[in-house]
Amino acid sequence: MGPIVPLFNVSNEINLLFAFIIGLGFGFVLEQAGFSSSRKLAGMFYGYDITVLKVFFTAAITGMLGLIFLNFMGLIDLDIIYINEYYITSSIIGGIIMGAGFIIGGFCPGTSFTAAAIGKIDAMWFVAGSIAGIFLFGEIYPLLESIYMSNYEGAVKISNILGIRDGYFALLLIIVASIMFWIGELAEKKFKREDISKEI
Amino acid sequence: MNTRIIISIIMISLGSIAAMLPKTKNSSIQLKADELLREMKRQTYVISADELADLLINQDPSILLIDVRDSVDYAQYHLPGAINIPLKELLDPEWAPYVDQISQKNIFYSNGTTLSSEAWILTKQIGFRNNYILGGGLNKWFSTIIKPEFPATSAPSETWALYETRKAASQYFTGSKAADKEENAVILPPIPRKKKTRVQGGCS
Repeated sequence: MGPIVPLFNVSNEINLLFAFIIGLGFGFVLEQAGFSSSRKLAGMFYGYDITVLKVFFTAAITGMLGLIFLNFMGLIDLDIIYINEYYITSSIIGGIIMGAGFIIGGFCPGTSFTAAAIGKIDAMWFVAGSIAGIFLFGEIYPLLESIYMSNYEGAVKISNILGIRDGYFALLLIIVASIMFWIGELAEKKFKREDISKEI
Repeated sequence: MNTRIIISIIMISLGSIAAMLPKTKNSSIQLKADELLREMKRQTYVISADELADLLINQDPSILLIDVRDSVDYAQYHLPGAINIPLKELLDPEWAPYVDQISQKNIFYSNGTTLSSEAWILTKQIGFRNNYILGGGLNKWFSTIIKPEFPATSAPSETWALYETRKAASQYFTGSKAADKEENAVILPPIPRKKKTRVQGGCS
């Protein structure tokens, strides 16, 4: 019975070991999919390349369907899976900062590491900047704590808020994603940029 | 057909199946009967009256006493620092922060162990952690801590040491003073002694 690593039943070290192994796989796939190119990531913003949208939504949908089917087969317990807790204010502020960093730097945190790993200098600077940001945040945390902690909603699922079953929400999300991918491909044609190389 | 359309069709059909699936019970938390029995045999969830007295006297912050009797009994007598959650209200969401947590040891107690054991089994089956019961309940608490049994004179010194600890604990919890020595002291009549007479005569 899943999850493989129940949060409280293993030591922190074993937890980190699992995270390390999964992280290696994640990084490898990101790199192989061409995500270490900042052109690809910036393309999401300018509309000439929506690979990012497709990959992340497909990943979410695959994971979601996997959980639902595994739960149906009795192999995983959805009630003891960790759900990230929702702080409305910090989610919005964090989203804006992350989005801005995405378009300015051309990487998201994960892809910056894969790009740094294949030797891209700008990605190394990006990583250094992220670490500096982490230290800065840690140092000024007492000043930010009230904003950071405000509007706490707990570990909520959208399906719970809407009051529908997880399966219905999954279907809804898949339909929405399919429509988004279709619109995205139209946008790719409209904002086509011949001058930007597809090369990594 | 391009890849996007093929993948969309596959995903939507899988999603439709997902939407039709019944919501399955998440059963992995609930213990099977044999697992529960094994746990009960091991008795690791029982805290003895002596252990509890020690924890209370040392004001251990990691325990929370929960009185699972009804509020009338609770009002009559309860252990110091205990909160009252009657058994039938145990699963109310209002009490969830006390019962379902991982930072404190909850110690359930009742007069005997019936109610507290029921509370323990309930919480164990749901998968709550850190729940314990007071072995023997309040009855045992009274017979061992509040009114410890006077050991036989021939009892080994460990028994006497335990008795003294319990007696001291009893004084801690009941607030009674140490027995006054002067009151209890038996005043014996002075032993008549013969007056020593000085050696007389001679050349004194």
